[in-house]
Amino acid sequence: MYFIQTLVNGLLLGGYYALIGIGMTMILGIVKLTNLAHGEFVIIGAYMAAVVTSALGIDPILSLVITVPLMFLIGFVLQYVLIGNAMKKGPEPALLVTFGLSIIIMDALRLIFTVNEQSISTPYSTKTFTVLGINISVLNLVLFAISIVSILLLTMFLSRSYVGRAIRATADDAEAAALSGVNIKKVYAIAMGVSMASAAVAGLCIGMKSTFNPTSGGAYLSTAFVVVVIGGMGSIPGTLIAGIVFGLAQVIGGASYGQLISYVMLLLVLVIRPRGILGK
Amino acid sequence: MSDVLLTIEKLSVMYGDFIAVEEASLTVDEGQIVSLIGLNGAGKTTLMSAVMGLHKPASGKVVFNGKDITSAHTDRIVAQGLSLIPQGGRCFNRMSVQDNLLMGSFPKTARKGAKETLAHIYELFPVLKEKMRDPAGSLSGGQRQMVAIGRALMARPKCLIFDEISLGLSPAVIKDIYHRIRTINELDKTAVILIEQDTRRALRMSDSFYVMLKGRTVLSGKSDEVDAETLKDAYFGI
Amino acid sequence: MLKRKFTPSHVKVLDSPPMLILCIVLAVGLYIGCFAGLISNKAMRYLVQIFLYITMGEMWNLLSGYAGMTSLGQQLYIGLAGYSVAMATSPLFGLPLFGALLLGAGISVVVSLFMSLILFRLEGMYFSIATLVAAEAFCMLFFAWKFVGQGAGMTIRINPYPTLQEICILSMTICVVALALVYGLLRTRVGLGLTAMRDDITSAASVGVNIFSHKLLVYVIAAFFTALAGGIFFVNKGMIYPDSGFGISWTISMVFIAIIGGTGTVSGPIIGAIIYVFLNEKLADYPGWSNIILGTITILVILFLPNGIMGTLQKKLHFEIFSSKRFSFKLKKAAKEK
Repeated sequence: MYFIQTLVNGLLLGGYYALIGIGMTMILGIVKLTNLAHGEFVIIGAYMAAVVTSALGIDPILSLVITVPLMFLIGFVLQYVLIGNAMKKGPEPALLVTFGLSIIIMDALRLIFTVNEQSISTPYSTKTFTVLGINISVLNLVLFAISIVSILLLTMFLSRSYVGRAIRATADDAEAAALSGVNIKKVYAIAMGVSMASAAVAGLCIGMKSTFNPTSGGAYLSTAFVVVVIGGMGSIPGTLIAGIVFGLAQVIGGASYGQLISYVMLLLVLVIRPRGILGK
Repeated sequence: MSDVLLTIEKLSVMYGDFIAVEEASLTVDEGQIVSLIGLNGAGKTTLMSAVMGLHKPASGKVVFNGKDITSAHTDRIVAQGLSLIPQGGRCFNRMSVQDNLLMGSFPKTARKGAKETLAHIYELFPVLKEKMRDPAGSLSGGQRQMVAIGRALMARPKCLIFDEISLGLSPAVIKDIYHRIRTINELDKTAVILIEQDTRRALRMSDSFYVMLKGRTVLSGKSDEVDAETLKDAYFGI
Repeated sequence: MLKRKFTPSHVKVLDSPPMLILCIVLAVGLYIGCFAGLISNKAMRYLVQIFLYITMGEMWNLLSGYAGMTSLGQQLYIGLAGYSVAMATSPLFGLPLFGALLLGAGISVVVSLFMSLILFRLEGMYFSIATLVAAEAFCMLFFAWKFVGQGAGMTIRINPYPTLQEICILSMTICVVALALVYGLLRTRVGLGLTAMRDDITSAASVGVNIFSHKLLVYVIAAFFTALAGGIFFVNKGMIYPDSGFGISWTISMVFIAIIGGTGTVSGPIIGAIIYVFLNEKLADYPGWSNIILGTITILVILFLPNGIMGTLQKKLHFEIFSSKRFSFKLKKAAKEK
């Protein structure tokens, strides 16, 4: 029974961790940029959700209607105006720019919101129910549902729409995509926007699941890296599987060893399958 | 007779300190097939990449369909109706054949009627219809070239540039592909530029020709009027 | 006819006797100043940081700028060295400072050899991320390890505790040795191989450069000197805890120093380190805003001085200090050809 309980908990958390990784996989796999600011992006998403929720007095999930488009816009502009220009100078300068962004965001959040821990509370935060002797937290279930819906929407966007196809084509061969009439700079900006939008959703989930402060971004950056590399860069199904693996590691290892187990797992995956579980 | 479609005027391209193309000039009329021949490293691919906006030219002018497209962004040039099929085809290997073709209709001007164009391309290359759900990376070299041609046709271009389409293909496949290029040219009145190293095949196909040597266009004329000796001298730079 | 135009790429190399002598005089002067106590404590505190950051920046530059290994995990060796020093000099083991530093560097070399087995199978972003994650994994280990005080960390108790003067001399020595080594290395056949690898790794391999052994050599050297610098850094600081030892901010400082100064130049990290140390010191006056200012400066320099400060100067003024090039173009002749 304990085994099944662990499995269920890990599985439900898996969606949540995949969601944290999904924005990163877009950027690594498509824009080919190591974005050190992704953790801070997620935290911005959390603060935005908290502000919108308390200002309008609505259910936290409804705040996405405002935060997702807003974050998309920020991501688009950041990439189009700033990061894209740094990328022309090579991968290391671009990396340093994203780091510059991450420390700027950290201090800015500290100035605006102070260093105090915050969280987004919901009526169902602590409720659980039991099915066949297995305890299921309502919150975890909600997080799982949010994650799966977001991942499905993203998958559909990438496979069905013209822009989604252009994003995949650019990831495959940017020059050939340009020759098919794609504006690469714009596609990168859209990918960053989508990544930011997913960070808005992930931030909301983090706010509901635990507390956050302006410096919590770093931990989520590592989480995102682990999930993305285990899953294979740019692979959405891979990210989902990796998220579940990561979730299980967290549940089994607990607070003190969960993180360590996942790091060791990542290094093992890199040795055995350097391109990730589903990477090619 | 027919109107001028593409004019390249004294175009130069630099790679750092190295002049890859120097004051190359070329004209293509509507519906014409033009071959661009020359040795490896003569600057043929670089010239066409510069025309497509993949490299920034150092000087010179490119006019397509009455519009100055010098230094325009590649996506704008494609939307104007000029497409290039790069060496080796460069399919999106992880995407299905159908998605590859649909990528070709990305320019907004091509999206309307994309379905009809797609049906037309499947008619032209029936093999692709059979394999429409397979990832392009799993196809043979010749089939990948067909995907690349189909992808370029999806944009319904007025002029198509083929960059060494025959590279690495067997003679039978080359013959087949050349036959289809002729069909494309005749049916849709699409102008064609063939970048080739095989002089004889290129001349048989084309209405007029240009020879490039060490970054310059050294000889041009009607394909059926040139004598072998002059051509050889220009080609090897003797 | 194909022409080659000789435009801005000629560079006058200024390392021949006068420049080298100037550097040696400067170094000897600083040594004497330190020994004779002519330098104030405040200045020495700056100098220690500058020397250590030059060493680390130079090592990262060697890794990324020459061997194409963009590591995000050099803090692994800093943390290992810091903890080695803290443990080895504790009353329980009682090693002297020198022994402890060498032990830390030795452990780092062993770990780097082991890590190379994993890391060298990876390329590009995978390499970067794996280095970062490896360092994070060690951070977690030290967080969980009771003997080293878990999250609270360790206070360093060396007996007798070295004075600031000694620390300054030590860090300067390491910096000079590291610079001499990098400079020397780049001018040997190995350096030629590395430069070739930087420009095009496939062609380098095809002309017979042994990529693996070159990478390994550079990676191990970088681990060794980064560890030495890190060990001294924590002796100077007096205590260590997991986040301070294994934090990514270490590598970010190195990246900053190398890129701001100019990657792929030996002199770049020197300028970069000096700027970094003074900037950090000045920014301490603006609590809450320091990271915003540092981040903004970083982004502006990258956007507007793409080759870093030394690289931009080189392009503008056509000279190069400490070049790994073995000859200089003749400027006059080039001007005529133009």
